[in-house]
Amino acid sequence: MSSGDKEQSHKAHRSRQTGASAKKKSDKKRNQESSDAEKKQNPKAFAFSSSAKAKRLQSRASEKEQRRLHIPTIDRSTGEPAPFVVVVHGPPKVGKSLLIKCLVKHYTKQNLPEVRGPITVVSGKQKRVQFVECPNDINGMIDAAKVADLALLLVDGSYGFEMETFEFLNIMSVHGFPKVMGVLNHLDKFKDVKKLRKTKQRLKHRFWAEIKDGAKLFYLSGLIHGKYPKREVHNLARFISVMKDHPLSWRSLHPYILADRFEDVTPPERVHGDGKCDRNITLYGYLRGCNMKRGTKVHIAGVGDFSLAGVTGLADPCPLPSAAKKRGLRDKEKLFYAPMSGLGDLLYDKDAVYININDHLVQFSKVDDENSAANRGGKDRDVGEVLVKTLQSTRFSIDEKLEQSFINLFSRKPPMSSENSSAEDNMLNQFGSITSEMQSGQGQTCILDQKDNDHMDGSGVAESDEGEDEDPRKEIELDDSDDNNNYAWEDNQEDDDQLDPFNRDLKEEIEFHGGRLRRKVISHKYGDRAGLEDSEEDDMDDHLADGSESSGDSGEDLDSDMETDNASKWKESLFERTLSRQNVNLMQLVYGQSASKSTASMREAHDSSDSDDGSDEDFFKPKGEREKKLNDKLGHDDINAEDCSKFVSIQLKDWSDEDLIRSIRDRFVTGDWSKAARRGQATDDDDGGDDEPVYGDFEDLETGEVYRSEPADNFEGNENFPKGDDPEVEDRRLKKLALRAKFDATYDESELSDEENHKSTEKFNRHQTSDGGGYFDKLKEEVELRRQMNISELNDLDEATRIEVEGFKVGTYLRLEIHDVPYEIVEYFDPCHPILLGGIGLGEENVGYMQAQLKRHRWHKKVLKTRDPLIVSVGWRRYQTVPIYAIEDRNGRYRMLKYTPEHMHCFAMFWGPLAPPKTGILAVQNLSNNQAAFRITATGWVQEFNHAARIMKKIKLVGYPCKIFKKTALIKDMFTSDLEIARFEGAAVRTVSGIRGQVKKAAKAELGNQPKRRGESVKEGIARCTFEDRILMSDIVFLRAWTQVDIPHFYYPVSTSLQPRDQVWKGMKTVAELRRENSIPIPHNKDSVYQPIERKLRKFNPLVIPSKLQAALPFSSKPKNTPKQRRPPLENRRAVVMEPHERKIHALVQHLQLIKNEKMKKRKLKEQEKRKAHEAEMAKNEQLSKKRQREERRERYREQDKQKRRTRRKLGA
Amino acid sequence: MGKTAYMRLKGSHHLRQRLVLATLSANPIVVEEIRADDSSPGLRTHEASLLRLLEKVSDDCTVEINETGTKLRYKPGVLIGGKHLVHDCGLSRSIGYFLEPLILLGLFGKKPLSIRLKGITNDSKDPSVDTFRTTTLHMLKHFGVPLEGLELKIESRGAPPLGGGEVVLGVPIVPNTLSAAHWIDEGMIKSIRGVTFSTRVSPQIGNRMIYAARGVFNRFIPDVHIFTDHRSGPSGGRSPGYGISLVAETTSGCLISADTTVSYPKADEMEEFEDSDEKPELMPPEDVGVQVASMLLGEIEQGGVVDSTHQGLLFLLCALCPPDVSKVRVGKLTPYGIETLRNIRDFLGVKFVIKPDPTTNTVILKCVGSGMKNLSRKIS
Repeated sequence: MSSGDKEQSHKAHRSRQTGASAKKKSDKKRNQESSDAEKKQNPKAFAFSSSAKAKRLQSRASEKEQRRLHIPTIDRSTGEPAPFVVVVHGPPKVGKSLLIKCLVKHYTKQNLPEVRGPITVVSGKQKRVQFVECPNDINGMIDAAKVADLALLLVDGSYGFEMETFEFLNIMSVHGFPKVMGVLNHLDKFKDVKKLRKTKQRLKHRFWAEIKDGAKLFYLSGLIHGKYPKREVHNLARFISVMKDHPLSWRSLHPYILADRFEDVTPPERVHGDGKCDRNITLYGYLRGCNMKRGTKVHIAGVGDFSLAGVTGLADPCPLPSAAKKRGLRDKEKLFYAPMSGLGDLLYDKDAVYININDHLVQFSKVDDENSAANRGGKDRDVGEVLVKTLQSTRFSIDEKLEQSFINLFSRKPPMSSENSSAEDNMLNQFGSITSEMQSGQGQTCILDQKDNDHMDGSGVAESDEGEDEDPRKEIELDDSDDNNNYAWEDNQEDDDQLDPFNRDLKEEIEFHGGRLRRKVISHKYGDRAGLEDSEEDDMDDHLADGSESSGDSGEDLDSDMETDNASKWKESLFERTLSRQNVNLMQLVYGQSASKSTASMREAHDSSDSDDGSDEDFFKPKGEREKKLNDKLGHDDINAEDCSKFVSIQLKDWSDEDLIRSIRDRFVTGDWSKAARRGQATDDDDGGDDEPVYGDFEDLETGEVYRSEPADNFEGNENFPKGDDPEVEDRRLKKLALRAKFDATYDESELSDEENHKSTEKFNRHQTSDGGGYFDKLKEEVELRRQMNISELNDLDEATRIEVEGFKVGTYLRLEIHDVPYEIVEYFDPCHPILLGGIGLGEENVGYMQAQLKRHRWHKKVLKTRDPLIVSVGWRRYQTVPIYAIEDRNGRYRMLKYTPEHMHCFAMFWGPLAPPKTGILAVQNLSNNQAAFRITATGWVQEFNHAARIMKKIKLVGYPCKIFKKTALIKDMFTSDLEIARFEGAAVRTVSGIRGQVKKAAKAELGNQPKRRGESVKEGIARCTFEDRILMSDIVFLRAWTQVDIPHFYYPVSTSLQPRDQVWKGMKTVAELRRENSIPIPHNKDSVYQPIERKLRKFNPLVIPSKLQAALPFSSKPKNTPKQRRPPLENRRAVVMEPHERKIHALVQHLQLIKNEKMKKRKLKEQEKRKAHEAEMAKNEQLSKKRQREERRERYREQDKQKRRTRRKLGA
Repeated sequence: MGKTAYMRLKGSHHLRQRLVLATLSANPIVVEEIRADDSSPGLRTHEASLLRLLEKVSDDCTVEINETGTKLRYKPGVLIGGKHLVHDCGLSRSIGYFLEPLILLGLFGKKPLSIRLKGITNDSKDPSVDTFRTTTLHMLKHFGVPLEGLELKIESRGAPPLGGGEVVLGVPIVPNTLSAAHWIDEGMIKSIRGVTFSTRVSPQIGNRMIYAARGVFNRFIPDVHIFTDHRSGPSGGRSPGYGISLVAETTSGCLISADTTVSYPKADEMEEFEDSDEKPELMPPEDVGVQVASMLLGEIEQGGVVDSTHQGLLFLLCALCPPDVSKVRVGKLTPYGIETLRNIRDFLGVKFVIKPDPTTNTVILKCVGSGMKNLSRKIS
């Protein structure tokens, strides 16, 4: 046989010729070659020649490096993370549902008929994925973007990008950008390969422009048998699985839940009575974001704020596979949970689990049971199987049992009077132990009460009818007798104590078997409490918890289960008990009993005691006085006690006493240092495990053994957290852990950067990180140290306290009960619209002025108008509000803007629920789907919140002078009252002509402000102003001032979940809309209309010189009073008769002038002609030169062309 | 737009903390039955003064008090802080009463706080301004608050009953959050420092107190330095008094303080002494020195990283941290501390894990902070 093996020739490895791996290989080869080539080159050739250049390059490189860094954030989540939410988004009819169906099919091998609600699948050993289909309306998109960890953007390749995609991208970028992957679909519609390639290229680059260069765009080539090709779906699943999550600031600070199950739990009689009564609902989902405490208020997106009526942690309906050493997932572990789609095998409720088991999966029906038992033997039978079988074997129906059983209050022992068969009793009592070998019955489905196992014997065991084999999915519920046990661990602590050992045993077994269904059923409570941490150390913890809890109820005598045969163990547990009792007492002292103690009853007690010995003088004193006296003795239960942080202990010790001195001797540096060190060490031990050195060291007198207190290692169990002996060791350990984690992180990152840039700068970068990133490294180290500290500090708490202290952990499957929800949410519930439940932080439910930096989206067509209602999405909420826009002036004043600026951020202020600064804001004006344009109106972020509005608006007060003194004038109509004037005293005013002045005071009656008639009161609001010059009565006086703009106190939550989904939500309308609807014309202010300015020519009065002055003036300055003559003067009218000599002279002069004129005329003509000729010449020349130039150019081009052609030919050759 | 849900509380005890926590958690409260059965019902003057102070440092907070003053409705606004604020604390309680809430509110304001407080600086009821300066301010550095800008300047001192002191408090804002503290190492006492004050009395009194106190400490540690601060004239306030404040510093940087003040009683307390015509005798300075020294030793004996006076503040700071685990060690829990823990639970939803440490007779408290952020800070 071996020889045959040798001879067999194995198939040779065929390296890939095409595809990604081939490319990778060739790349690697090329890289090697290039590095080799680099070595060959002259290294000096690439050295920096100039120091300035080197410096510049270096600074650039370091700048790039620094920009890459982010402040490390602390990851506070422990345990299993919640499933990764993959939102599949795309315009309608692009194939979203089909993609989800194909992916689900790929993961679980199950066909999904319809995609409704979130679908959780286990996608790998460490990873779960929750698929959500994004609804098509904008509200659904906003909610989906708020929960997405990864968004798959489906794009119809044959059509190109649609607005929805870009809208969704914008929404995501505002609410924290999760990972995004584009999926190009409908590529089979291209017939032309070249066109397809070009389209792909084009779309890819468009996509990159929107997100970042190199953003992943996936191509789905088309449909085969109505499904996407298997290979491509596989690849896509691979891409999804390697996607990394990174924390987004809003989400890491707020708990949130994407509800994957929704139920109306209103009592039916109430609904029956009034169909529109407020409902109680329960929502189920994984807790994400951060830990959630019990008292947290939540916001249901599209509904409103509610306080939680109940929170319960449930077992994970879709748990990760148990840690077994194998490569892939087994088929059984490929779990699948989609209650809204009506699929999946398990349905969890607070106190019951519903299991659907398919026919073909059931291998242990009663018929072939005997055979199989014979085959396999009882040993390796599955626990769940045994359970099912025992249940099958029950002979009595549930009501029969109820009749027979009785309620057991005190003892946990099996009821003595129970008339059930002894075998059955045995089984029920030792529920967890696998010893019960009973096997019979044949029902295929069952529901196990898993909450209170001990109730099983009390109340009921469901039993499947023998004859119902043909019904494959039948659900029976084991009734839980104890309805008021809402909180498993709280109310049933005693029960738990008893049950834990059982559970623990069971759990262990189940881990071993790894069967998926049964495991969950039984480990439910523990899954709830321990967050599904498994293996032995968990057990250890449980042990501890058991000890402390059982010791908590003091009245309980020792449990027989707890009592182990080992005496020393017993003693150890005693110590723990005493210790933990002390612990509980202190906690109770602070939180428990005294808080619940009613002060009223206290007072009554006082009163009664008072009345007994009430003396006469007390009779006239108020009740409080008397009480005060009492309280002096009693201490601090007075509700009106004095508020004083100083605690004065009345008796001061006399510190000259030697004993006393010795007692604190070692607290001083002069004392014994070793003792003090021990003091520190002891404490460290103490806070780790509950083990106690002082009581820990003792000698057992019976056996003569000496017990030493051991370090708490065994309690911690986990090798990661061994307890140190002293603080330094502990510190060192934590530091080491932190360092390791830091190294892991950087290692990861450097790998990433390797992938990202193959640039030569890479080497340089790394160099930078090694020496320049010291601060960054330190920060990282600190963060990691803090994280390790948190984990180690919280690890030693038991689960109940832990939930109380830190809340429900991220990743827990929660059931939230909410009361008094409007009935519409139930009526209009649509599983296709995911319900988002977000926790509200401190002070976020308050309402105030939000101040935001806002920018109109550049694709939105119109500018936004102040006081037009806008729907904003901030944090978890969506509401309509009325913003006022403003811009900051140089002096820090916020000036109101009527419209948003074109391409700038502006300041917006609106009334609404407060959100912390830095939160993103998305504004939408219209929610309707059929709007053609881009729906996102504006984006921005919260700057701060305030309770005071401080936006100012310019105001101009106009007044007219009513009386003018020299430089003083009384101005009317500017103010309405003297009080108003008093407010404006000293304000600057100005006239139209530019004369500046100041408001002085209200005009007094005696100063020109007399009433016109007797008896008339003095007119108010006339201000006395002084100017730098005298003003005219025709002047207008302005006072320029600023006034505060009030911001409307309006906000209205967008309640889209409370109406049919196809209806468009209606909110406040804009003024323009109202006008359009009611066809009201835009009001028209006549004064605002621009008109041509007609200025009348100013007519000045003639200058009048007083006669006295006139007399004093010199003659030249005197006005010459020449009255206007009607007739021309005599000189003009007379005829002139010349002498003959004169006539001659005149004639000669005239002749000479004539000659001269003639000459000039001629010369002019000549010049004109000359110019014309010259111009003609010039034009000719011009033309010639133009022609020549053109020729030259043409020649040159021809030459160039020739040359080009020649070179091309050469190249071609 | 909906109705604001008020938290209903009863009685005037711990009004200070309740107001502070209500302001920090933006939780409106109604306090009922404030001394309803008392001969002088309603709010005291110092409580009214505190409310006025809150109005001063915050914006748009509303305070409604009914006619008898037995019911108070408080709706917090946004903490603003700011410079050049002045507040007259009145004479019924000392400035220490107002400093404790102010320091917390100042940390979470919009702008750094700088406020001048007038009134009684040293008092036997409240921690004195010296203790505040030497101890309380240094506590904050364990929670990541930088010490720059954190200061208390004592401009003049005023002893009860007439006061006349003036201090200027400066508190920086935290940029984002505090940082969780892991503070359980109490260390060993390495030195004792202190300061005595005396106003309108003989300057020798200070030295006499120091002499007496040193006498007690001589058995323990030689490194004792106590300074004297004698004020006369206008900076000495309006009434005579003297006192001493001691701080023990440990090797791990913990500060444990004790202080006391001796002065003539206040006017309202004087009634009790009306039968005697002359002023009651003051405690001699030697006795004061011994008393305060034994108080300090008592605090040291109790252990813990802070003294009993500062427990409440310590717990509050722990609860206001980001959601990380804070761990502190204190001596015996004081009633004030316990009530603080309850108030923290009610307002911030933070529960402490309280574990006694029997070896040292101390208590170790752990909590996960509430994740309080400075929300009012402006982001630009």
